[in-house]
Amino acid sequence: MVAVPKPRRGAITGKRWVFLVSLGLMAGLLFVPAGHSDYLNLTFRNILMYAAMSYGWNLIGGYTGYISFGNVAFFGIGAYCSAVLSKAGVDNLFADVGLALIVNALFAVAVGLPILRLRGHYFGIATLGVALGLTDLASNLDFLGGSGGASIKQIGEAHFTTYYYAMWAVTLACMIATFFIARSKLGYAFVAIRENEEAAQVLGISPTRYKVTAWAIGAMMGGAAGAVFGAANGFIDPPTAFAVDNNVFPIAMAILGGMGTASGPFIGALLLSGANELLQQHFLKLHALFFGGIIVLMILFLPRGLMYLVGLRGGMRRWLSDLAVFRV
Amino acid sequence: MLRIENVGMRFGGLWALKDVSFEVERGTILGLIGPNGSGKTTMMNVISGVYKPSEGEVQYAGRRIADVPTHDVCHLGIARTFQVVKPFANLTVRENVGVGAMYGRLGAKRSARDAFARTDELLEFVGLARVAGRPASDLTIPDRKRLEVAKALALDPEILLLDEVMAGLNASEVDEALHLLRTVNERGVTLIVVEHLMKAIMSISQRIVVLAEGKKIAEGLPQDVTSSPAVIEAYLGARYVKRQAAERERKAAAPPAEPPA
Ligand SMILES: Nc1ncnc2c1ncn2[C@@H]1O[C@H](COP(=O)(O)OP(=O)(O)OP(=O)(O)O)[C@@H](O)[C@H]1O
Ligand SMILES: [Mg+2]
Repeated sequence: MVAVPKPRRGAITGKRWVFLVSLGLMAGLLFVPAGHSDYLNLTFRNILMYAAMSYGWNLIGGYTGYISFGNVAFFGIGAYCSAVLSKAGVDNLFADVGLALIVNALFAVAVGLPILRLRGHYFGIATLGVALGLTDLASNLDFLGGSGGASIKQIGEAHFTTYYYAMWAVTLACMIATFFIARSKLGYAFVAIRENEEAAQVLGISPTRYKVTAWAIGAMMGGAAGAVFGAANGFIDPPTAFAVDNNVFPIAMAILGGMGTASGPFIGALLLSGANELLQQHFLKLHALFFGGIIVLMILFLPRGLMYLVGLRGGMRRWLSDLAVFRV
Repeated sequence: MLRIENVGMRFGGLWALKDVSFEVERGTILGLIGPNGSGKTTMMNVISGVYKPSEGEVQYAGRRIADVPTHDVCHLGIARTFQVVKPFANLTVRENVGVGAMYGRLGAKRSARDAFARTDELLEFVGLARVAGRPASDLTIPDRKRLEVAKALALDPEILLLDEVMAGLNASEVDEALHLLRTVNERGVTLIVVEHLMKAIMSISQRIVVLAEGKKIAEGLPQDVTSSPAVIEAYLGARYVKRQAAERERKAAAPPAEPPA
């Protein structure tokens, strides 16, 4: 009798040890402010911010399989929540993030109910519309500062450090939340929808209900990052809140790291932001070209992300045969 | 317990089902047979709420299936397998079945851990325990069929619709599958079995409904159904039936043959 190893629930979060390494790296990032460098604080705060946004995208795009091109909307709404509170005389990061969570959850449900009934590409296009529409709306609402933008009062002198830690906490929360959601019943509903929506439905899963849930939790993640960013930046206007970079980077990061895993977005954010930073330093003019090139190469050769390489058994041959799935 | 009343299903200009009625009694096994394209899978889709019928209705436990959202049909106690299997390819076998145990009829009461405990029992029962940790995409055809059955069983159904779960199995695997289905039935689950393998379907079914070109052409006990001329015609073609009839006439006209010495 051959002993059958007790199977674990592995696939749904990605490799356990990679997640532990990610947590370790997060712990390491706590020491960035000890370098007393505004440049380092800012650079790593941005990395954390992108990671949090990428986690938000990962729930709907990676876990549930509905590719969104509009998640920057949630980031922008979060940033404007801080602006509105500041205008009302409330300058408290907890309040900023709290308001962003509530507003984004409500907004995501309201918008998600109609557009998440669309399949695949149509959903993606609709999300793009949401982001574009919000940009225009923010430019035309006077109480948000219109196209001129709004300033947000910053707190204290040690503001770089405070905001850095705040962003760190938001990202850690996103990472841990993703890990536990993925392993829970909720995570299995998301993945079942991604793998085969009709089969999921016959197993008792309401696609609309769980898609909206994934979308709304992701919205809260992006919104929290936006709220901290708004306060940290001290100023917000439509091009900053709804920047194209903020829409595209988190998607690329999740894909590079590994969609539908609990470490992918963080690892992707570290590597892609790192690459971007280096390129900007060395190629002042053409860095965006190189960055775009990296994304194209990654999609061509690593469409399942780095997390896939970590789990790969069977070497080059298996890799090439797996790649064939993505080709015509 | 399940009543199909004058069901018609139209796709464009084609009636895949037309005016089909039958009933299924609790605890029984009903065989649903018919030539290719006769509407068997379409009937499964109508009963499981995946399609809303163009005409007529399906009633189960006093509810019209068409009024129930597709994802709630399994909560009423109706489970089905897919002829073209639909595994969650990137999940393990255990996770595939686990999803059913989490969201099926008794799923709301189960934690993820309880669902996996139930899953492990089922994997043992259908013979998939040996591949529990493998991604579903790695499975052989017979194992994919077993997985479909395990996922449906994980819903704790009262009635189970099986669409060609024995296609592609060898003789001994068919026997195992028949044994499995009988055991499921003995535990109180009503079965509707769609199958092309005549021997298998005849041996397991208590009643049989025959479809041809979307219409019900016969219903009854297995031995009665197979001797019905309409059924023979649907399966073997009109020419065969005519030839058989001519043969019989010739035999009747000719003097009885000498008994062999
Ligand atoms: N979704 C659909 N759209 C259009 N036509 C369909 C659809 N589903 C089934 N049909 C048609 O309805 C008819 C019945 O198909 P169905 O799949 O129910 O047959 P079946 O009895 O299951 O056949 P088989 O034994 O080959 O599985 C066929 O002519 C088929 O082409
Ligand atoms: Mg069929």
